[in-house]
Amino acid sequence: MKAEKSPYNAVTPEIVQQLKEILGDKHVVYDDPEALEPYSHDEVPDLRYRHMPEALVRPDSAEQIVAIMKLANEVNIPVTPRGAGSGLAGGAVPVFGGIVLSLDRMNRILEIDRDNMVVVCEPGVVTSEINERVAEFGLFYAGYPMSLETCYIGGNVATNAGGAKAVKYGVTGRYVLGLEVVTPTGDVLQLGGKLVKDVTGYDLLHLMVGSEGTLGVFTKITLKLMPSPRKTVDLLCLFASTPEAIAVVPRVMTESGIIPTAIEFMDRVAVMASCEYLNETLPYERAGAMLLISVDGASAEQVERDYEAVGELCLSAGAIEVYVADNRTTSERMWKVRRNIPEAFAVQSDLQMNEDLVVPLAAISDLVAGMETISARYGVMMPSYGHAGDGNLHTRITPPSDWDEQQWLAVMPKFQHDLYVLTAELGGRLSGEHGIGHKRKEHMKTFLSPETIAAMRSIKKAFDPNNILNPGKIFEG
Amino acid sequence: MRLVVPIKQVPETDNVKMDAETGTMVREGVEAIINPLDLYAIELALAIREDHGGEVIALSMGPAQASTALREAVAMGCDSAVLLSDRAFAGSDTWATGYALQAAVRKLGDVDLVICGERATDGETGQVGPGIAAFLDWPVATYVCRLEALADGRARVRRLVEGGWQVVDVQLPAVLTVVKEVSTPRLPTLRGKLRAKAEDLPVWGAADLDVEGDKLGLNGSPTRVVKIERPKVARECRKLVATDESTTAAAIEAVVEFLQQRELL
Repeated sequence: MKAEKSPYNAVTPEIVQQLKEILGDKHVVYDDPEALEPYSHDEVPDLRYRHMPEALVRPDSAEQIVAIMKLANEVNIPVTPRGAGSGLAGGAVPVFGGIVLSLDRMNRILEIDRDNMVVVCEPGVVTSEINERVAEFGLFYAGYPMSLETCYIGGNVATNAGGAKAVKYGVTGRYVLGLEVVTPTGDVLQLGGKLVKDVTGYDLLHLMVGSEGTLGVFTKITLKLMPSPRKTVDLLCLFASTPEAIAVVPRVMTESGIIPTAIEFMDRVAVMASCEYLNETLPYERAGAMLLISVDGASAEQVERDYEAVGELCLSAGAIEVYVADNRTTSERMWKVRRNIPEAFAVQSDLQMNEDLVVPLAAISDLVAGMETISARYGVMMPSYGHAGDGNLHTRITPPSDWDEQQWLAVMPKFQHDLYVLTAELGGRLSGEHGIGHKRKEHMKTFLSPETIAAMRSIKKAFDPNNILNPGKIFEG
Repeated sequence: MRLVVPIKQVPETDNVKMDAETGTMVREGVEAIINPLDLYAIELALAIREDHGGEVIALSMGPAQASTALREAVAMGCDSAVLLSDRAFAGSDTWATGYALQAAVRKLGDVDLVICGERATDGETGQVGPGIAAFLDWPVATYVCRLEALADGRARVRRLVEGGWQVVDVQLPAVLTVVKEVSTPRLPTLRGKLRAKAEDLPVWGAADLDVEGDKLGLNGSPTRVVKIERPKVARECRKLVATDESTTAAAIEAVVEFLQQRELL
């Protein structure tokens, strides 16, 4: 955000020459602002979080990354690893310039091991490709971030990405069985493997998961696969108001005894914007809020029983209508409404603030009610939507269209402060699945004690004594 | 108003894989759905019922599994559904299908409007709707993109024709085939699904209809599929490289000329 004084050296033509010796001329970009610009940002809409890299490298192997890290330590130049750049916290933005290390060329699926139910792949594999490839073995990878058609699996592991199926299947970390990691100082670690259980020493594997590219660069990822569900049905449930919709969420699991794959929530503002953006003609004007609930299972009969039970529970809890999608076409129509919410707000104003709040399940209704109060207090739109089934709500705060940047920046710290204090009071945290990056680091202290932050810092220091790998992230200063 | 919507169960082709060698679709694991264009016909029928009262009956000819599509139609709001299923119907082409469906429409009796999707996504012929009309000797309006009025035993419809619209009045009873501009299909509801599940779907065979046996099924079908060939598409790609002002100008000029030659500009 604000320009930080750089403790690093600049990338020089001599260093570029050394990089070219490691990677070949073709895969080093330097002194070409147009080609480097896409690497100055991720999907965070706020332009203030952008920062240009000085050079881009596109390695093809762990050996090349080892050499790059060793060189970077020698010449004191920061290295920022990057996946697809679909992140929402600035994790892949080179805040001190230096080298961006893109993993886009390392996009091979190395092994599909049906007997062990694992897939071994490189970090640059697009997440949705994994399922395209393993489907023929009757297997599937349960990660389902909303950006799955563009994001890379490496980024999913680096942020411990969640997504819409986390209610039933959990987040990325649950499926990471093994990692090959290049450390910030250029060592290669083999962590875990094809093992379901492993307590051989500290769990460095899961220390790496969610480390946002600050502790190591992943070069090989072993993921656990599951038997594919044979049938999935989605329910789109319209409620008159947010409290009514939210009140159903905990009841779905406790009363029906069914764990849905997904329970997504969308409030009125979010639904209206998305339906209008998509020209969708669902009777959304009647709905104050919607829940999108998925159930899956091994047989059509079981899934039918489950969705009927969940749907009837929603109706008895006051749902105005429950729509059923038991084929791909209808299902896609429902999910589009959910997936397009951020885009629907992005077209309304350049001034945007994305939040990724997470609270204990039972506190969601208090969070949503509090968000409505805060949005009214500051006169901004605060659509709330997201993964209600795991307490993780998103909002894309957008000002009225006639606000200028100055007005926006004047109130932003205020509503952000109110929102974070509320979340912390409810026992929640700053980020459920997007990560901290440099975008949220100044707010860490609202949520974590100084001792906790200090413990995290000493881990970073142990792996990266020169602070070369993705500096300026997670921690302030 | 008594409305009949003939629908067809087709493979879900949005996400389909083709067998590179045979040129046919890989059907394994492909879901069966209501032909997408038929959804617009159902929606139009339901909207007419809402405005004018009456009932909507979904009709389908196919194997026993086609009842799934009919139940989906009921879940969307159709009042009832009838399945035509009989070995005698197997192998029907569009002619024999139209013949069997019109017999069912006659048996239903007192029908004011038959509304069909323009065509099915698997056969792509668009012949069954007009075929039903021909056998019934009713007027037909194809490619209907809007129902403008429905009164005094007439329907005024807007047809999508090449280069514009055509507004025509048709005397009821009539057959309409609709394109997707005509409506936005509603989604099936849970209440509808539960009702559809409990619904006792009548299954009619050849013996239930007033039909001549030699006009049914494969024997009654004048069409024979002799061979399926994939046309070879030859794409002529021309690459215009624009790197600076003069090459960009030249490229733009070339594109304009290209479009003008084809009267597209």
